[in-house]
Amino acid sequence: MVEDSELVTDALRVLLESADYRVSIAGSIAEALGIPHTDAPSVALLDLTLPDGDGLVLVAPLLASGWNRVVALTGHDDANTRDRCLAAGCIDVLLKPVPARELVSRVAGWLQ
Amino acid sequence: MSRVESVTKPHAMVGNTPEARLALLEAQLKEAIVEIAELRARDALKTQFLANISHDLRTPLTAVITHGEILRDGILGDLSPRQMESVRGIISGGRQLLNQVGEILTYARGAANQLTLVPSRFAVRDVLDQVTALNAPLVKKKRLTIAVEADADLPEIMADREKIAHVVANLLGNAIEFTPAGGRVWVRASRGAKEDAGSMVVEVGDTGVGIAAEHHDLIFREFAQVDATPSRPHHGTGLGLTIARKLVELHGGRIWVESQLGTGSRFQFAVPFEQPD
Repeated sequence: MVEDSELVTDALRVLLESADYRVSIAGSIAEALGIPHTDAPSVALLDLTLPDGDGLVLVAPLLASGWNRVVALTGHDDANTRDRCLAAGCIDVLLKPVPARELVSRVAGWLQ
Repeated sequence: MSRVESVTKPHAMVGNTPEARLALLEAQLKEAIVEIAELRARDALKTQFLANISHDLRTPLTAVITHGEILRDGILGDLSPRQMESVRGIISGGRQLLNQVGEILTYARGAANQLTLVPSRFAVRDVLDQVTALNAPLVKKKRLTIAVEADADLPEIMADREKIAHVVANLLGNAIEFTPAGGRVWVRASRGAKEDAGSMVVEVGDTGVGIAAEHHDLIFREFAQVDATPSRPHHGTGLGLTIARKLVELHGGRIWVESQLGTGSRFQFAVPFEQPD
């Protein structure tokens, strides 16, 4: 998860770990770019509003370094935002607040 | 007295000539126009503030509910029955808060014209059944009789399903709330006639307390409640019907009420079967 709000990450981490996923968290663009290629996740949840910029700028570099499923997390429920995310290379767009119970099944879906 | 001075002293004794009075009126008009523009800008700011804050409130609220659900589902270990009850209280309170915040957000977006329609084709009967099912526990608790009907030949409608469901849910929720135990509530969908030809009409009726004629317009206005004191028996944001009206009007429809104090109410809304492209 690339997300700077602990309120969001705490609860989601518990849910994902209880479904046996290993969860790592980066709180900024800089932190995310510092993750080694060998640690590329199976799925990345990317918040668009990060403290050091627009999360979408991360998509291209992350995909280039071996991350292959990036899902955007945004509070903006409009077609324009959705289009921007998909155009940037995201495989899906999730609206915040993330419906937690749905998240685990959606992760399973993205991994198929 | 110079022209400028007479403008800045509106209550001073200006010359009584028609020209002087006209100049004064023109000056006051200009001031009023400026003030109206300032008030409009401030109103827009407040609406935007409402939208922003209710949007922001949802994240911590969702965290509260999610943690409650994590505990409730035993993910972090089993709970004793009393602990379970307490956790259910947290979730219930959290959900009520989230609903109210969601209502404020929808109202603010509506007021700022930021709501958009996402139309799809669906059978209204499905939405009526869905909303009724959600309210079944409360209906049962109040021992109300509920009837749900739709004309057999009612065509599918092209509309924003979520928004139509929201309107029906609001009207049905009100009907249930304002009808004493043992009363009757009904929902029916039919083809509109005369001025509502080409539209679907949904009626939500009840045998509840009714609404006095002089309040029929008031109840659709934001923040207006028939009894707005803190000790009022029915709590809420006072936005439900305002939102319902906005959502119906977004579809090009209309909403109205027939009711008298003491004899129950019939809320009706008409929405065109088709939306323009």
